[in-house]
Amino acid sequence: MTLTCDVLVIGSGAGGAPTAALLAEAGLDVIVAEEGSFVEQGSIVPFSLEQMNRQYRGGGVTVALGRPSIAYTEGRCAGGGTEVNSGLYRQPPTDVVARWREGWRIDDLDPDDVATLAAEVEAALSVQPLPGPAGEPSLALQRGADRLGWKSDESPRWMTYPEGDPRRGQRQSMTRTYLPRAERAGARLVYDCRVDRLEFRGDRATVAHVTHHDGRRDTIRFRDVFVCAGAIHTPALLQRSRLRRNIGHTLAVHPTVKLAARFADPINVPDDVPVHQVKEFAPDLSFGGSASHSGLVALALLDNWRDFGSAVVDWPNIAVYYAAITSEGRGRVISLPGTTDPLVTYRLTARDRALLAQGLERLSMLLLEAGATDVFPSYRDAPRVRDRRSLARISSTFGADKASVMTVHLCSTVPMGEDRDKCGASSHGRVHDTVNVYVNDASLLPDAPGVNPQGSVMSIAIRNARHFLTEARRG
Amino acid sequence: MTSTCDIVLGHDFPDLAVDRRHVVVSFVVGRLGVLPGPMRLGVSVVATLVAGVRTLGGDGVIVRLSRMALPLVGEYFRLLRSLSYAYIWETWPDTTPTGAESRTRTVP
Repeated sequence: MTLTCDVLVIGSGAGGAPTAALLAEAGLDVIVAEEGSFVEQGSIVPFSLEQMNRQYRGGGVTVALGRPSIAYTEGRCAGGGTEVNSGLYRQPPTDVVARWREGWRIDDLDPDDVATLAAEVEAALSVQPLPGPAGEPSLALQRGADRLGWKSDESPRWMTYPEGDPRRGQRQSMTRTYLPRAERAGARLVYDCRVDRLEFRGDRATVAHVTHHDGRRDTIRFRDVFVCAGAIHTPALLQRSRLRRNIGHTLAVHPTVKLAARFADPINVPDDVPVHQVKEFAPDLSFGGSASHSGLVALALLDNWRDFGSAVVDWPNIAVYYAAITSEGRGRVISLPGTTDPLVTYRLTARDRALLAQGLERLSMLLLEAGATDVFPSYRDAPRVRDRRSLARISSTFGADKASVMTVHLCSTVPMGEDRDKCGASSHGRVHDTVNVYVNDASLLPDAPGVNPQGSVMSIAIRNARHFLTEARRG
Repeated sequence: MTSTCDIVLGHDFPDLAVDRRHVVVSFVVGRLGVLPGPMRLGVSVVATLVAGVRTLGGDGVIVRLSRMALPLVGEYFRLLRSLSYAYIWETWPDTTPTGAESRTRTVP
């Protein structure tokens, strides 16, 4: 069967959903092809293995190879990563936007305009602080930072809170916001439908070859196509479609190391994450809290199980925290013949490794100040940290190769800009050397922004969708 | 993969009930089956090597190998353990460090 539309949007996450909504509301005939399934929010326990099975790619087990390899996760479901992430929101930093504009020669990228777009996103997603006190794992971060005189703040979230209860937030993810808008405007949402490759006639893509969950194969004909499959699968699809120039060579992430901190009293909140973040050393280094249910506590203790394993029985008193860095390293996404999954690699620099060690040491200090009785850093042969004297042992024993390094923020694999030596797409996302293939997701960000990137991704996506409409009206 | 995972879990958790161990092994093998293509290929290669080593040296060699920080092989065992440990404590949060069922919390 062949479907036909004006615009095909591939992916329904933070880039694809607003793109589809804006284009459909402008009267275009839009099809959204999403590889994953629709999963009703609230039907699965957040951060559980069941959620990983149903809403993450590869069951949540995906790795960028390197020394060390870096575990990453990607949402693969209606709404993409917005359905499964922490829901924390940060505005695109104005200094970062200005640096992108200069460094990659991006036309029309005014930090003030981006801030205006971010305000629009915030209104659409009901971005707001908690209506009441944060949970104890979050307050511990704030308390430790206060005692050390370090800057910390509460990250707002895109959630609503029925009856003002801070423990009952409802995520305003893409399946609650932009996808229903797209559908109301006439967009057709096709789930469980993977786009295998785009077919070209000259420099114009004309057809997408797709495979449904049950193995059926179809084609979708279109006038224009927006690839919004995320920073790994957008470049992989473009490469499979024989577009390779500056595509997939510059993966940027926020590498993250973790630790478990035990307190005298119960602290664990199994189904949520802390909202406070410590920004004293930002953008190089940021601290925050992770999901901490009992299985994830065991995971955090795993690297030195012989010495740390006995603590697992006390998981209600344990919370997991992270130190994230802005990395100078880069990775690659390499499409391989015979598989739709690309090979992903990442290389940390010496500076990155030093920063990760510094991050674990400072985060441990902060948690001791917050009242932790023991800190268990997640790396092989790590010391149990009980006081300030034992902190120094982290820097003497830490090695990134021994650590469980992970990330959830992936970007920059098709950087936008007019500098053709390093950019895969134009200032508004059109893939260079094509006339109708656009990228509109985290792949476009020139590097990792140093904060949660969803606000940046959505603001840029709206900017580019509007530019596309303006150009289309001009004919 | 199944037997390697079973050996590792049997060693790490001597008190884990056999039926539970089988459930965990089944979960781990299922997850390895849905890994992204290149990763699945790499894991299969390493798993085949490890199975070959077991044929030559027995179960004890697998346990020793699983404790060594070898490139790729070490990551394979870490993957098995990550999935197993996360599953055990998410499914049965009252499990002791040796794998026994317990409802008594202790603070070391």
